[in-house]
Amino acid sequence: MAHFLRILRGACILLLWMLGLGMGNATVWTIDNLPMVHLQDARRYVCNPDGVLSQEVVDSLDALLMDLEQRRGVQTVVVAVRQIEGGDAYRFGVDLGNKYGVGSKSQRSGLIVVLATDDRAYFIHTGNGLEGTLPDAICKRVEMQLMVPSMKEGKWDDAIGNGVSALAKYIEGDESLIPEPNNEDDTAGAVMALLIMLFTLAICVSSIYLSLVHKCPKCGKRKLILRKEEVVRVNGKMKLHRHWRCSSCGHEEDTYDDPPAGRGNAMGRSGVPIIFGSGGNFGGGGFSGGSFGGGSFGGGGAGGHF
Amino acid sequence: MKKLATGTLVLLALIGVALIAFFWGVGVRNGFVSQEENVSTAWANVQTQYQRRADLIPNLVNTVKGYAKHEQETFEKVVEARAKATEIKVDPTNMTAEDLQKYQEAQGELTQALGRLIAISENYPELKANQNFLELQAQLEGTENRINESRSLYNKAVQDYNVNIRTFPKNIVASICNFAKKDKFEATAAAQEAPQVSFD
Repeated sequence: MAHFLRILRGACILLLWMLGLGMGNATVWTIDNLPMVHLQDARRYVCNPDGVLSQEVVDSLDALLMDLEQRRGVQTVVVAVRQIEGGDAYRFGVDLGNKYGVGSKSQRSGLIVVLATDDRAYFIHTGNGLEGTLPDAICKRVEMQLMVPSMKEGKWDDAIGNGVSALAKYIEGDESLIPEPNNEDDTAGAVMALLIMLFTLAICVSSIYLSLVHKCPKCGKRKLILRKEEVVRVNGKMKLHRHWRCSSCGHEEDTYDDPPAGRGNAMGRSGVPIIFGSGGNFGGGGFSGGSFGGGSFGGGGAGGHF
Repeated sequence: MKKLATGTLVLLALIGVALIAFFWGVGVRNGFVSQEENVSTAWANVQTQYQRRADLIPNLVNTVKGYAKHEQETFEKVVEARAKATEIKVDPTNMTAEDLQKYQEAQGELTQALGRLIAISENYPELKANQNFLELQAQLEGTENRINESRSLYNKAVQDYNVNIRTFPKNIVASICNFAKKDKFEATAAAQEAPQVSFD
């Protein structure tokens, strides 16, 4: 159901986008209507609704930024659009970052890169915890040397690709940044699921065992084993005939029970129902939506117009 | 006997109501304290950001000095304004409206002086091309942005606190426990006069 809704939402966005193209003017994106691709797919970090960047650059940045998040716990959002509300890349980035809480809560290490091509505005925002790794001066240097010259020529792929790669290198070099223990939570969840599965399995096995092995009424040892099981007709009624034999003292016994509805041998002698393994619900992991950690932005970073 | 029992009942009920009111009041008061603490934290952050700007200034002035030797007056104004601004320290727990205004005025003057410093640098192409200056300028801009963000966070904390202590019935507790309204930053005349940057 959730998956269907997601597809529906995606289709709506696509439709709106196509309508926007058809009318010949780009959407003016606000922090509310900008589709956050990371929330729909945890592997994606680049918001490129207007197709400013080529798919190759988007894919390579997604891979780079996913690696960065896993190794350094720095969560990045790259926004490359044509127009933003008010044409103010600074305001847009800070509000976007604070609205979604980009970056981990403990490290507050979010990074947002905004480029609005029609507004000719750009900004690199550093979360409160990333200001030490990426001081404003470094952001400015990256912008002046790697981004602005390309932006002036309209080479958006080069500007964003080179700029973000350079920022990633700075972050990569800071070993004080550690990945969010969020992943460990996931492992803890997986361990829990495994334990539950094992527990269920143990109950299954023991109930099967209990239904097959019983206490011998003669010698009192748990050696009475089910030898034969068949449905027979007794006085015109269907009965479940079981033949038991004790492997300790050799005592033999026959029981005639009412056959349970449905499965023939699902009920044991003691009436313990055999629990069939609960169907685990894994999968779909690759396309699950990501989440933002709760970082905050206090105005760090640099930017300007080109 | 029956009359006495009614009297006791009424008394017990009154004590009960008083107890409930007391514990409610304690809860409300603790809420005020934590909000006041938020305001203090937000204020400390504002001061940190202003201090950060003050720390940047010597470096910036020295860099500009290297290229624009004849702007002595501008440098002096910046240094003077910086000294004045760093002198004023405000304690958020007993800050009056005048304290806040003085603080804001002094910082506003520094903002203006810095604006002039950046403006004169436009006249020196070599300075404008200097990587060190560009980065200092970026740091200064970033710091101004941080100041603005921290100011608006402070205002928000104050607003939450003020709304809380002034709405009925919590205002009763506030007046008993002496929680007074706090003042916000306001856009001053100096702040509205953003320095003009020419592009020639």
